[in-house]
Amino acid sequence: MTAVAFEDPSVALRDEARRRTARRRRTTELGLLILAAMVVCGTYALASLGRTASLPANILWFLAIILGLGLVSHIAVRRLAPLADPLLLPLALLLNGLGYVFIARLNNALAGKQAGWSAVSVIGFVIILVALKDIRVLERYRYTAGLVGIVLLVLPLVPVIGKSINGSRIWVRLGPIGFQPGEIAKVALAIFLAGYLVERRELLGVANFKLGPMTIPDPKHFAPVLMAVGISLIVVVFERDLGSALLFFILFLVMMWVATGRATYVAVGMTLFAAAAYFAWTAFDHVQTRVTVWIDPWVDPTGKGYQIIQATYALAWGGLTGTGPGLGVAGRIPKDETDFIFAVIGEELGLLGSTAIICAFLLLAGSGLRVSRRSADPFMSLLAVGLTSLLAFQAFIIVAGVIRLLPLTGVTLPFVSYGGSSLVANYLLLALLIRISDQVESHDEMPVAQR
Amino acid sequence: MNRQIKALGVVILGCYLALFIKLNQVQVLDADKYNDRPENTRQQVRDFNHPRGNIVSADGVLLARSDEQKGELQFQRVYPQGDLFAHITGYYSFALGSTGVERFYNDELTGRTPALRIRRIKGMFNEPTAEGELVLTVSSPLQQAIKDALGDSEGAVAVIEPSTGSILAMYSNPTFDPNAISSNDLDQAAKVKGLLDAAPSKPLLARTFQERFFPGSTFKIVTAAAGLESGKVTPDQPVYPTETSYTPPGTTRAIRNFDGSNCGGALFEILQRSCNAAFARMAAETLGPEPMIATAEAAGFNSEVPLDLPRPAESRYPTDFGALISRPEATAPIYENSAKLAQTGIGQNDVAATPLQMAMVAGAVANGGSVMRPHVMKEVRARDGAVVDTYKPAEWKRFTTPENAETLRSAMVGVVENGTASILQTPGLTIGAKTGTAQLGTDPPRSHAWMVAFAGPAGQPPSIAIAVIVQDVPGNSGATGGRIAGPIAHRIIQAALGL
Repeated sequence: MTAVAFEDPSVALRDEARRRTARRRRTTELGLLILAAMVVCGTYALASLGRTASLPANILWFLAIILGLGLVSHIAVRRLAPLADPLLLPLALLLNGLGYVFIARLNNALAGKQAGWSAVSVIGFVIILVALKDIRVLERYRYTAGLVGIVLLVLPLVPVIGKSINGSRIWVRLGPIGFQPGEIAKVALAIFLAGYLVERRELLGVANFKLGPMTIPDPKHFAPVLMAVGISLIVVVFERDLGSALLFFILFLVMMWVATGRATYVAVGMTLFAAAAYFAWTAFDHVQTRVTVWIDPWVDPTGKGYQIIQATYALAWGGLTGTGPGLGVAGRIPKDETDFIFAVIGEELGLLGSTAIICAFLLLAGSGLRVSRRSADPFMSLLAVGLTSLLAFQAFIIVAGVIRLLPLTGVTLPFVSYGGSSLVANYLLLALLIRISDQVESHDEMPVAQR
Repeated sequence: MNRQIKALGVVILGCYLALFIKLNQVQVLDADKYNDRPENTRQQVRDFNHPRGNIVSADGVLLARSDEQKGELQFQRVYPQGDLFAHITGYYSFALGSTGVERFYNDELTGRTPALRIRRIKGMFNEPTAEGELVLTVSSPLQQAIKDALGDSEGAVAVIEPSTGSILAMYSNPTFDPNAISSNDLDQAAKVKGLLDAAPSKPLLARTFQERFFPGSTFKIVTAAAGLESGKVTPDQPVYPTETSYTPPGTTRAIRNFDGSNCGGALFEILQRSCNAAFARMAAETLGPEPMIATAEAAGFNSEVPLDLPRPAESRYPTDFGALISRPEATAPIYENSAKLAQTGIGQNDVAATPLQMAMVAGAVANGGSVMRPHVMKEVRARDGAVVDTYKPAEWKRFTTPENAETLRSAMVGVVENGTASILQTPGLTIGAKTGTAQLGTDPPRSHAWMVAFAGPAGQPPSIAIAVIVQDVPGNSGATGGRIAGPIAHRIIQAALGL
């Protein structure tokens, strides 16, 4: 083959159109980022004023770090994924920034750490964008991803390094650093499910195996999926991490259904879920407690119902417009900087603020699903569905628990809650979504063999 | 896959819509319900970080104020009059809650009523808070006169204005110092409260409206009213036999006159001499249960008192006298428990009244038969002194007709002029009264001494009604009530009418 490069006019036109799209999208993103930064800084200033007591000077520096990180990530996206959806990053940074303001307002010591973890997360975010130029590489490593996911989940059960905190054995401590490997595991499992289901979805969609009066797809095709999910469920049950168990279950169900389009999977899944929930209810005291306290927390207002009651009081006290940042009655809700941070936001920003937070998650979910719909590549599409579902349902599970719509199962509120592992994992997830989005828009998604 | 992704979008939207609806319920629709839960102290924390309105007596003496403090709670309640008004103002503690006016008028004192809120919006920039000042109907010198008159005796005194129901003074001994309980030193406050709770004399209890006693012979006013209302008793008829005791139907236990005296006659005569046998006979034989129950309830017995203070006790008159036994032609129907009915006619058995209730009975006689709603609030003032709310007097019960009230008034004046309450005679005043000696036991003889009265300048309608009880005094003769409660009532009436 001769190495003469012909300038194809259609290619030149296409490149010009892409450049324009990229410029427009990145300008939008920058504008939204500035808007998010203004909201965060305004809330921060009000929270400082509200607390009259002077805040340590270094807190301002941490705020500068958070805002600087927004700029860094924006530049990274501009260089490395210029065609990506312009909503994803500003929404994540808005949530991260607001979360930071409330963590700083609740606990100065944690604010510094959260700023540090945000920095680590953004570095991770950039590394993913640099290293992963083609998301389809992950399709090849689907089984590896599945294995990594399971190993990460089992890690806290390993003696010596595994640690139990607040009754849940979900921590791993190596030297000075403690983290929750389950947060990363959920991303790995989404990659595995996307790869595996795309490979087998034709087979899974065909029912040709007789089981009594029913005809179901051949068990050998979905046995690995059931196994993977079964193992993850068992692990989270042993680790007493109900929230993650619920999240994995939803992830499994959603991805199976989206991949195959068979409602039977949802029906069977729901039945399995009902059975598992009933079993968990009879077998575990802590599950019974959660349900009892959900139905009526006032049966034990100073004991088991205390946390949820205090959260309810905080939300009610906030009313429509809130007490104002820094003016709420802080420090009454256990775990208010992690799982229950939504109640603090609801108290100080009112129904308007709490609705803004759920709207932000709804917009994130919408953007994620739009990425998924625009993708012609099934793996990319399904992975986007998985990642989006993780974000949307994790936020739903914890908010529903805090406001007593559903029994409480503790997970973090993505990007908002205090916690390094959660933050790193969610920025990782965001990087993958942004990479998919960029690839979808550049139409650079045909399988290599067909190009 | 696109169809499923669209459907997934709808599912997620549905989930978030559910969150939004539930958030509206928790944060807006049911927010007040959660804010008002007793164990939710958010309101208190806010209230303790704002000044609270003063409480002032009718004559302008400061009864409660808010002092600024250093510490987590920025304000503390101070009661300059010490224990004198404790049972009216109550206390106001962060940890132990509140009682009295502090509790009942919390919205006014914190500025949370609509009228006060509007004033706050008007002066938003120079008035950060809108707490209201509460002016009470009670008089500080009269309250002090009661305290002095009671001295060390355990007892209670209520003074009201018959035409309005305004409480002019209300004091009971023992009392307590609300400053100690309202202290922001919460440990110390809890300790003090613990001691007061444990004290057998129950100093935290406002005996004037939260405790019931046998009314004894003072209840004969109600029996007499029932007789007049039924039409079966007039100033002339019937003339009750002169006897030392009366044995009601269905029992062999006689009801004796005090000290075994011989006593009888028409209404004025038997009220003046407080004849037990005659009033027992009136209840059981002249009237029967229905008129007695109806008139007792028309005085306010068996009803929750619409007092503007927390937890008033309900005065009681029995409503069940068993099955009908016979209908003799000469007397009222005889019931299984006609003996009990006879005893209630002289304020014994299951009759129980608060001192405030007995003051209201005397007040109704003095006010043409109308019982006015008792109250301690006179008006609410905003910060700038403007009156934003004034108490409007209202009738609570109709005790008797104006004609019967006039008859009763003359009868009670007779008790002072010619009867057991002669100790109250005061030149220049018209006073009507009824004594009472509610017997508690005979070995040793002990009783509650009562005096119930109305008084006013001669020739004018009575301007005060009063009930005095001195608890658990030695002796149980007919003169005990007048002898012990009489001088106290006399001093208080003189103080109230400015003599």
